[in-house]
Amino acid sequence: MIQVTKGFLRKITLFFRRPLPAKIIHVSIGVLKYVFFAFVVFLLYLPILIIAVQSFNDSRNFYDFTFFSLRWYEELFSGISLANPSELGSAIQTTLLIAFTSTIISTIFGTLFSIGIHSMSKKSRQKMMFLNQVPILNADIVTGVSLMLIFRLIWLAIPQIIGYPSLLLAHVFFSLPYVVLSVLPKLSELDENLYDAALDLGCKPFRGMTKVIIPAISSGIFTGMLIAFTMSIDDFVISFFTTGPGINTVATYIYSSAQRMNPASYSYNTLLSTIVVVILVLFSIISSVRKKMSMSKNSIHKNIKKGAVYR
Amino acid sequence: MNIKKLGRYALPYMIWLLALVGLPLIVMFFMTFFDTNGFDFSSFSFTLVQWKSLFIESNLNVFKVSLTYAFYTTLIAFALGYPIAYILAKSPFSNKLVILVLIIVPMWSNSLLRSTALANILSENNIVDDILSNFGLSFVWNIKGTGLAVILGLVLTYLPFMILPVYTVLDKMDPFLLEASADLGNNPTRTFLRVTFPMSLKGVMTGVIMVFLPSFSGFAIQNIMSGGRIIFIGDLINDSFTNWNYNFGSLLSMVVIMFIFGSIFLVNKFDKEGETLL
Repeated sequence: MIQVTKGFLRKITLFFRRPLPAKIIHVSIGVLKYVFFAFVVFLLYLPILIIAVQSFNDSRNFYDFTFFSLRWYEELFSGISLANPSELGSAIQTTLLIAFTSTIISTIFGTLFSIGIHSMSKKSRQKMMFLNQVPILNADIVTGVSLMLIFRLIWLAIPQIIGYPSLLLAHVFFSLPYVVLSVLPKLSELDENLYDAALDLGCKPFRGMTKVIIPAISSGIFTGMLIAFTMSIDDFVISFFTTGPGINTVATYIYSSAQRMNPASYSYNTLLSTIVVVILVLFSIISSVRKKMSMSKNSIHKNIKKGAVYR
Repeated sequence: MNIKKLGRYALPYMIWLLALVGLPLIVMFFMTFFDTNGFDFSSFSFTLVQWKSLFIESNLNVFKVSLTYAFYTTLIAFALGYPIAYILAKSPFSNKLVILVLIIVPMWSNSLLRSTALANILSENNIVDDILSNFGLSFVWNIKGTGLAVILGLVLTYLPFMILPVYTVLDKMDPFLLEASADLGNNPTRTFLRVTFPMSLKGVMTGVIMVFLPSFSGFAIQNIMSGGRIIFIGDLINDSFTNWNYNFGSLLSMVVIMFIFGSIFLVNKFDKEGETLL
């Protein structure tokens, strides 16, 4: 305790012994850093705040805030109804449907594929990683156009492909690489002897995989799932090129409707952002609580190893 | 090791990727030499007219404009994003998830709506001014439709893509390296220039590409921010494909693909496992 205070006092005396300009620079850099940070974060959130304000605006016009109302939220919920959805409502349904199905498909297959890639030799693994990076780094417009060309070619033989199937396949295509990228690092942390042990104990390879490998990499799978969902729900360009006539996601609806856009879109966006913030904050609280709990558990395990006896 | 036998699970993925990445390239390449109407092959002939029209002045100009805007966007995003990533990585506040939430949440709201909102603030009649006028204040910064507005829109949309990879690299860096550098007599500025920055290049590279490519090839955000007054390469590609001119559209896409393969090559050189791409 005394040493801490001594160190602290020394720091203070050192600080006051410095020439004045150095002092000012030191303090102002510290303050400026946080001002800068707050400013950039403010800029990032500014459009979202404006969208939120507009979603409570009774007027349809963006430049004219008349008075506070929940009119567009009512319209949003009445528009989502399954029986008679509005143009925006059916776009929201499509977006959610495609996001959920493409996330599920790409999570399952992405996990299997990354287990496969992990098991390859180093050289072919690097080749696969190169191929895997193409959809991520590729410009959206090129991915969209490429997929559109392929779907148009398939369409010559199977006309049903354009529409929901093409949209779903496109979303799976650009989500898969993210799942692979988040699962692979977890696989390299895996103790491969565990899998061998499972097989020695009589597991079939597939059962060994679901019982041993998948639980060990579950956190990577979860991250991949989250990213896949984010990418799918936010996508515009690829959906724009691969969707069929009359089928809109929220993004393509907003782009194609331009001036006559239903202001309930702002309510949808505000609701979505709010839900995401709440879920992510809850998730981070839960995970930090879990961490603390597992830390106390670990200490018990260590004590057992040391030979302590608990009765 | 039994796990090596699981390599067969990757085979379908290889076929899938080759079919959906490689095949379109071949199709596009052939399309550039013909004058079909969409995929209508009933009457077509071999022609080099697409390749010639690529080099007419108005098209070259579009390329120049797209490259310039993408360059400035990337530069500003780097100038803002690197310090932010640095401050985040060095902050005593170590709850990673909260930090990620802070940067990722804007990506969840639709980028077109965000651009619309931003374009609104930057026009003469805007909602902020309308609300402030009740208090006798005013806010007018009428730059909608100018190049500055386009760059601002692009920077604010793609900034998280610069922050996240740089933060990932800086966060993983071994703090003992900095101590070692200080022990060897480097002052903090020198340590940053000779140790921290070179080690973060991997993330910077990924960030630069993740910002440069979409701002170079996109069209939606650019359209909203410029009010359609500035034409980008994305517009040309979009127009070609919506007007069933698959041939010229394919050629333009091939040009964009050149840039993309260059960048994938660069990323691979700096970051073999792709760990900064998440």
